[in-house]
Amino acid sequence: MSLATLIDTTRCIGCRACQVACKAAHDLPAEKTGFFAKEGGYQNPPALSAKNLCVVTFNELEANDGEVKWIFAKRQCMHCNEPACVSACPVTALHKTPEGPVTYDSKKCMGCRYCVWACPFGVPTADWDSLAPKIHKCTLCHERITATVTPQELNGKLQTKEEQNSFTESQHLPACVKACPSGALKFGERDQLLAQARERIKASPGKYVSHIYGEKEAGGTAHLYLASVPFEKLGFRMDLGERSYPYYSKIALEAVSPAVMGLGGLLTAVYLLKQRKDKVSASEEQGNKE
Amino acid sequence: MHYEIVKKDLFTRKVATLMALMAIGAFAFLARFAFGLGATTNLSDNYPWGLWIVFDLVWIALAGGAFVTAGIVYVFMAEDFHPLARPAVWMGLLSYSFVMVTLLADLGLPWHFWQLGVQRPEHSAMYEVSWCIALYVTVLGLEFAPTVFERFGWDKLRDLWRDLSPIYTVLALAFFVFLMSHQIWMAGLALVVFAVVAFLTRDSFKRIGVPVILIVAAVTFSTMHQSSLGSLFLLMPDKLSHLWWSPIMSLLFFLSAVVSGIALVMLMDLMVSYFFDRPFHWAMLGKMGQVLAGALGVYYTLRIADVIIRGEIGLAFSGRDGAQFLIEIIAGGIIPLVLLSTQKLRGNKSLLALSAVLALGGVIFNRLNVVLLGMNLPGTLPGGSVSTYYPSMIEWAIVISLIAALFFFFGLGVKLLPILPKAEESR
Repeated sequence: MSLATLIDTTRCIGCRACQVACKAAHDLPAEKTGFFAKEGGYQNPPALSAKNLCVVTFNELEANDGEVKWIFAKRQCMHCNEPACVSACPVTALHKTPEGPVTYDSKKCMGCRYCVWACPFGVPTADWDSLAPKIHKCTLCHERITATVTPQELNGKLQTKEEQNSFTESQHLPACVKACPSGALKFGERDQLLAQARERIKASPGKYVSHIYGEKEAGGTAHLYLASVPFEKLGFRMDLGERSYPYYSKIALEAVSPAVMGLGGLLTAVYLLKQRKDKVSASEEQGNKE
Repeated sequence: MHYEIVKKDLFTRKVATLMALMAIGAFAFLARFAFGLGATTNLSDNYPWGLWIVFDLVWIALAGGAFVTAGIVYVFMAEDFHPLARPAVWMGLLSYSFVMVTLLADLGLPWHFWQLGVQRPEHSAMYEVSWCIALYVTVLGLEFAPTVFERFGWDKLRDLWRDLSPIYTVLALAFFVFLMSHQIWMAGLALVVFAVVAFLTRDSFKRIGVPVILIVAAVTFSTMHQSSLGSLFLLMPDKLSHLWWSPIMSLLFFLSAVVSGIALVMLMDLMVSYFFDRPFHWAMLGKMGQVLAGALGVYYTLRIADVIIRGEIGLAFSGRDGAQFLIEIIAGGIIPLVLLSTQKLRGNKSLLALSAVLALGGVIFNRLNVVLLGMNLPGTLPGGSVSTYYPSMIEWAIVISLIAALFFFFGLGVKLLPILPKAEESR
């Protein structure tokens, strides 16, 4: 089981309900911003920060038909299949859950910020204003989507099994998906969402570019994107490759244990050989004297 | 080998200057904790690592002098370099301790450091480095201990150290293998391997005055954390210019630490002779220059070959990154290699010193390039222009005061403990 969100940017209307829901769900403070305060125009806030785990980018672009259009893209943690941040973390504060989301536990975090440095998407942020700067990032609302609270009774009315199931389904969603009014966000199994994304591209080939961003990028991610224009025009990084980021450091670190033993043995051999040589030359000297 | 305590005033004008710098650093350290990282440093989400990390990487590379010297003197038994052994270990012990002080300032939540002891991450280079350095510092402490025993005539403690330190070392190495592999059988294998090592070398104390397994552990732990500091950057192939990023960065970091370690020990010896009015060891330094030439040759051959084989050499001839790469290779590698190439050139005192300075500078510049100058940062999502980072006054103050502290405590050590070889013997 691996949960994911499909983001169809052609359906996004830029209302930012997801941003608001995200802030409410995580009880994050406001940030002083303004339209046209920084590059991005109406885009507000301009970037992720410890106070914003999700930001809708505003892109004014020429579409296929030559018409100038607004294209919006909700950006947040990609929840990589093999995340660089998780492999970086020395205390497992960042953790790839079996359900798919990458979560963060501030009780373990030392604040080394290696995750901020390592993430290829520029996602983790630290609250620099704090005396105890924790890391902040989207957790795909892990606590919501794995919660098991399903009330037996709702508004004084005993719930049937069916009603209970439908309640659970409606609640086990990330806050942003729950808030999205236009159907741009869809939450579910990654494999199923990928299949749906392919179907959408196939059904209306003129509408989409034939690329599901996140299917293969950086080894695959749990946020999958569809768009009507090439993704680089929406500010997505195209230079990440398809190999997972921890690939090389994994090789290097798996070599450590054998290397410790090999090197220890080698150094001892050098020492013993040298000792033997010294002894031989000493006894030869002795022999010469006699 | 006999050692002596330097008979000089503990308090001089130079010492007072160092203490003043240390006091400024202490205030900066307090300010960092009173006002927080955001207020006192110029670090940000775009530049989460800055001067302090550069400083740590540089200092650890230089402190490689401790394991290189110990290895050369006690494992390869190059007796000529014996006078360097004790001061190199003292320098190493101080350096690693101060690196930990910087880390304390740099960590956002340093009071959670104990989590390193209870969590088991799978492939974290930061975890490897943390544990490896912690264990290496204990080994450095054990390497240095006999100096203290000698000073106070604690013969019983010395005997205890002689008998118990090999046992501790075997356990530490096996424990480290367990932490890295998560496998009991691997740890068991390591326990057996190093128990055999300890047994085979059990008479080494009589021969060289130190259980050689301590030195084996020092070299092994150093090799591992020096290389893993390179592994830290393996996660950043998208940011670090491929003139520096390479799948074999770990190996290159280790080899360059050998270069900077040797060069630093040469400069340390020159400074000791200069500041404490002691005889210069030009003949020994000339031989060390030969060793340095060998290390430079190996490192820079591999470094250049790696860039060529990966097909990235074209980058060297364009842009600022290219210029930085060429400066690093030519000034830090090729020029000192030429200066050290012949017996005659090595006999020239100022050229010998210059080549050590250049070799050291090359490695320092390498670390600076890897952490900051060679990085192409995309910025926090959704990305965009990233303004340049300059360290703040507080960041500088802590770094400068710790360098002052190194000089201060090094001097204090040689004035209180038998660290330097007897002047007439080493002449």
